[in-house]
Amino acid sequence: MKLSTKLILFITGSKFAVVLLFVLCLPFLVQKIASEYTNYSLREQQKKVIKNVEKNGVDYYLQGEKNFGSYTMLKEEYISIEQSQFYNHIDTIKNAQRVFADNDTLNYRILSYTFINGNRPYLLEIGKATSSINQYNKPLQRFALYILIALIALTVVIDLVFTRILIKPLAKIISTKLLHRKFPFRKQLEKVKTSTTDFNYLDESLISLMNKVNEAFVKEKEFTANASHELMTPISILQSKMENLMADEPMSEEVTFRIMGMMKTLDRLKKISSSLLLISRIENEQFIKNNTVKPLQLIQEIVEEIGHRLRTQNISIEINISSSAMLKNVNYDLLFQLFYNLINNAIKFNVPNGSIFISDKELENKCYEIEIRDTGIGIAKDQIPFVFDRFSRTNATETTGHGLGLAIVKSIAIYHQLEINVESEMNKGTTFRVVFPY
Amino acid sequence: MKVLIIEDEKTLAYEVAAFLRKAFYVCDMAHTFKDALEMLGINQYDFILIDLGLPDGDGLKIVEQTKKTNPEAACIILTARGNLEDKVIGLDLGADDYLAKPFYLLELQSRMQAVARRKFNITEDLLTLGEFNIDLQKRLVIHPQAKIELSKKEFDLLSYLLLNKNRVLTRIQLSEHIWGTFADDDYDSNYIDAHIKNIRKKLNVFGTTDWLETVRGVGYRIKNK
Repeated sequence: MKLSTKLILFITGSKFAVVLLFVLCLPFLVQKIASEYTNYSLREQQKKVIKNVEKNGVDYYLQGEKNFGSYTMLKEEYISIEQSQFYNHIDTIKNAQRVFADNDTLNYRILSYTFINGNRPYLLEIGKATSSINQYNKPLQRFALYILIALIALTVVIDLVFTRILIKPLAKIISTKLLHRKFPFRKQLEKVKTSTTDFNYLDESLISLMNKVNEAFVKEKEFTANASHELMTPISILQSKMENLMADEPMSEEVTFRIMGMMKTLDRLKKISSSLLLISRIENEQFIKNNTVKPLQLIQEIVEEIGHRLRTQNISIEINISSSAMLKNVNYDLLFQLFYNLINNAIKFNVPNGSIFISDKELENKCYEIEIRDTGIGIAKDQIPFVFDRFSRTNATETTGHGLGLAIVKSIAIYHQLEINVESEMNKGTTFRVVFPY
Repeated sequence: MKVLIIEDEKTLAYEVAAFLRKAFYVCDMAHTFKDALEMLGINQYDFILIDLGLPDGDGLKIVEQTKKTNPEAACIILTARGNLEDKVIGLDLGADDYLAKPFYLLELQSRMQAVARRKFNITEDLLTLGEFNIDLQKRLVIHPQAKIELSKKEFDLLSYLLLNKNRVLTRIQLSEHIWGTFADDDYDSNYIDAHIKNIRKKLNVFGTTDWLETVRGVGYRIKNK
């Protein structure tokens, strides 16, 4: 799940939990507030009455009578003052029932308070019908609920927008630093603008990591290039010395053979070095891809170049390539090398009197494919993933080569953005397919 | 012929000089850019072999300089850079040939001969081998009875042996001359033998080929009086 989705879900969830709790508590709260408020207003009324009594005497209410009582029209509130027999002090607020003459029973919240006036105790009662106290609870609750829902909806929308803005740099970091990146990273990385320090930290760490990867890659390439390059001079010297030695006649046959052996070994060293150098040159893109090549012509030239090998092993070759096919923006020499190595392998790992089939076709996605199939000894299944690795010699014998042929093929393919597939069965043969992008 | 070898690796320069002296070239050596310019200022040379990677200057500048001060000289660039660009620039500047290190001295000498033939108009296009005449220009083997057709590689092989006659050429030298350095990843190819066999077969129909000797374990040699 996406981080922004998770955040929104979490925020919304926690908000709903709070709201639910609040909604559950609301009736109690409202009731509590209503009853507190009632108590408060009863007290206020009491103060008013006592003030009047102190100012005007209790007769202000009693008007000479023993008791005073007054109800509102619907008996929602009442006030009564009566002489009390007892001198003990009462000051309470309680709920109580009152039964009326017409058998009407009502619940009241009653404030009872005794006071002395003119040496006589009086009991003051102020009542409020409980039904009238709670009459606003329901609408109040509903109203509170509506406001709450509206507020939540509003905050969720704000959260949604804000988290989007907040998370945006992360998506940008991922898309610019990790996705859409072709190795090796040639372009200098640009920092993603954000005020979030965590993202800044992530971004900087990624940039430094990428730079390190790049550096290591460049160093590795440089090393290969330098090492193979530096080897060339000593090889040159050795080779010249041996050549001069050979030219010094006469020499015993044995010495001649020994020097020949040395020359062969040196030749092997030279080929390994120059192959490594070639790979590093391809990787460093030191070749220009501006040739247009006709694959039929290319393959025919290679077969002509390599024909003597076919004849020595009596291998037949069948070329079935359309004469109209064209490959644009390629390097002729590199493609020559690529197919040369593949066909050379098809010969090398073939059986006497075997066959090689070279054909082409246009794929469904309009890509162009050249297939090289041989009837050779094949490659073991567990070796197939490694055939393009440097120095991986799946059929290692003295005469099969230095193990860089397919590594060269691979680097040329990568440089030209070609796809290479291998299919092989032991003792049946191997098929290489080179797919050119449309 | 007078040759100036400009090469900072002294050992290599000595070996090149030793080889060329045997072929009766007169060799001078320069190991730095500065020395090279100095020697070019004093002497006239027929051949200048230039290593591009000198410690104190770019060999390509020498090529440029030589074309002004010593226009008759033939320049051959020797380099370990093996960079295609260098080759193009070098040839554009007027170098006559280009050899990537490591090269065989034999190959160097053959290139020098080829350049000399081209440059100094030395024509010995018709060479005699026993009963056969070899036309290097038209790439033909001619026998009084017939013209014999050799394949491109076969003719290359025969003419290379012929140009270096009375010298043993190893299989490696021959295969490098014909197929170049890295096109091939086989160390020990007997393909040269197959080609020689074919040449002998084609020529033996008309006459003996005892002038083409096999040197056991080494290679081949054309013996010619």
